[in-house]
Amino acid sequence: MIEDKLLVFRFKRGRSEALRQIYDKYKIELLKLAVALIGDVNMAEDIVHDVFVKFAQSARRIKLAGCLKSYLVTSVINRVRNYRRDSNRHCETSIEGAGLLSSSERGPQQWAILSEQLMLLSQALQGLPYEQREVICLRMEMDMTFRQIATLQGAPVDTVKGRYRYAIQRLRLLLNGEVEK
Amino acid sequence: MKSAETIKRLFKDAELSIHPDTDERVFEDVLQAQQKVTENLPAMPDEWRIIMKSPITKLAIAAVVIIACLIGISFWRTSGSGIALADVLAQIEKAKTYRFQFFPKTGEDPNKPYKRRFTCLISQEYGSKTTREELDPNGEWIKVSENYLSPDKKTAITIHHRQKRYTRIEFDNYTAENMWKVASNNPLTFLKRILACKYESMGKSTIDGIEVEGFQTTDPNFFYFYIGDQGRSLIGDFNQISVKKVWVDTKTRLPVRYDSTGMVMHDFQWNIPVDAAEFKPVIPDDYTGTVVKFPAQINEETAIQGLKIWVELLGKYPDPEIITPFLVTVLRSALENSETPAALRLQEEIKGLTEDEIGNKLVDFLMPIRGLARFYNGLQYDKKDPAYYGETVTPKDADKVLMRWKVSDNEYRVIFGDLHAETVTAEKLTELEKALPK
Repeated sequence: MIEDKLLVFRFKRGRSEALRQIYDKYKIELLKLAVALIGDVNMAEDIVHDVFVKFAQSARRIKLAGCLKSYLVTSVINRVRNYRRDSNRHCETSIEGAGLLSSSERGPQQWAILSEQLMLLSQALQGLPYEQREVICLRMEMDMTFRQIATLQGAPVDTVKGRYRYAIQRLRLLLNGEVEK
Repeated sequence: MKSAETIKRLFKDAELSIHPDTDERVFEDVLQAQQKVTENLPAMPDEWRIIMKSPITKLAIAAVVIIACLIGISFWRTSGSGIALADVLAQIEKAKTYRFQFFPKTGEDPNKPYKRRFTCLISQEYGSKTTREELDPNGEWIKVSENYLSPDKKTAITIHHRQKRYTRIEFDNYTAENMWKVASNNPLTFLKRILACKYESMGKSTIDGIEVEGFQTTDPNFFYFYIGDQGRSLIGDFNQISVKKVWVDTKTRLPVRYDSTGMVMHDFQWNIPVDAAEFKPVIPDDYTGTVVKFPAQINEETAIQGLKIWVELLGKYPDPEIITPFLVTVLRSALENSETPAALRLQEEIKGLTEDEIGNKLVDFLMPIRGLARFYNGLQYDKKDPAYYGETVTPKDADKVLMRWKVSDNEYRVIFGDLHAETVTAEKLTELEKALPK
């Protein structure tokens, strides 16, 4: 935490090496989160790329009361939600998971390289309602507390716990089913 | 049944690693975004600047330079051992062919044996071939993918064996000329970058029985090689996290191993016999594929063409908030619900096609849409004061500003609702924008 505060302090003073350290420290976690949430590796790359670019542009105005990781995670979550909103505005059918296969058809431009296990997990996650998916990803991948997730989702803690329980149950079925194939 | 703990372990074990070439390009974007902001920040007191502005420091530096010239010292350019890296560069440039292996380090524990490796075969005549292999649980290397770059044909073909798929990318001239030059796993580029930096000898040692001399740089300019002098203004203590090393055979003057933050290149074989057939991808019959083409040019015409196609397909201009990299994705989703003649025609044409066939069919057709997004993002990036009013302006609004950007101190380029373009003064633009629907 203190290390992050120092990094942000130096970043705000325009130090490129601080930006590099922040980027190296969080890029993989954020990419994993975005892939898990959206199931489309190309789109996940765009989102995380955009999050870092916007973060880099924010040196002058950024005010971090909380921790840097939460700030970046929230940025990813907001962009994923915006993307879903923009896409769904034009299309009733769900597009999630539609681009997961594209991770296998990408050329030398690809940024993230997914293990088979991550692809399997991400595919299974697309079978969950989005709110449940968000809860389980934030809890499992980002180690956030239910209270933190509740704040992020603007929902009561009990609701978040309920989403988590349902998500676990559903994911068990989805993953067991996948293993049995 | 899996417990929550098992699922948690699945999350933690699901690995994601980073392609080092792309990673460097992404960070360059991020860095440039910071740089644009930094340029506008008020100057802050900086110890380095204070020291450099000191008249005593200036005198001291001048004295050192004069003495160095008098005694014939060439700073940073000699190792003191007889090997000059410029000679090594010349030796690489002479090599008609070479092969080496590399493995990415990013995201992996450097103490663990690496689980993936790449073998690169380079020919000045035929292009390059890169094979990616992964270590399976039995300890055997399995060929996962092959990538073929052909500067002559301006193509990159990647074959993914597990998925039985391939991708063919057709580059524009600029990208084709530079795609291999800018690759960070190019030994020639790597060495050029070291030569452009302050480097030092690490002395002699032995690698695989070969006597080598090592050189290293911690100079942040290594990273700024591609972004020129502007990057130099950002020098900080970047070197603390970025050490680049190369070991050179003292006899052949050719590299034996490279080591950087992101990857290791090793097992070099120089001037080996190659067969043209090695550089020709062999795609099995049961593999399916996708073709991706780069827009030849991104300019005003591309943007207008993109807007034209969008309005033909969806009956209106894109909303301002979706002029982003998501533009093509949004269009493809929206197409299903559109009933314009162009959309219906396109839907009919792609009916019954596989996803690959649809992708291939749409690739040319949607290229101007990609171009529109890239054009607008470029204007934002270059701070050309762009604005876009697609939410309120329609194709019938021949006299209303649809998009505009600055072309000089007092002039703006304007694309109007009917997609004709004009250059107008800033005053005229103010008038035009006052007339826009609220």
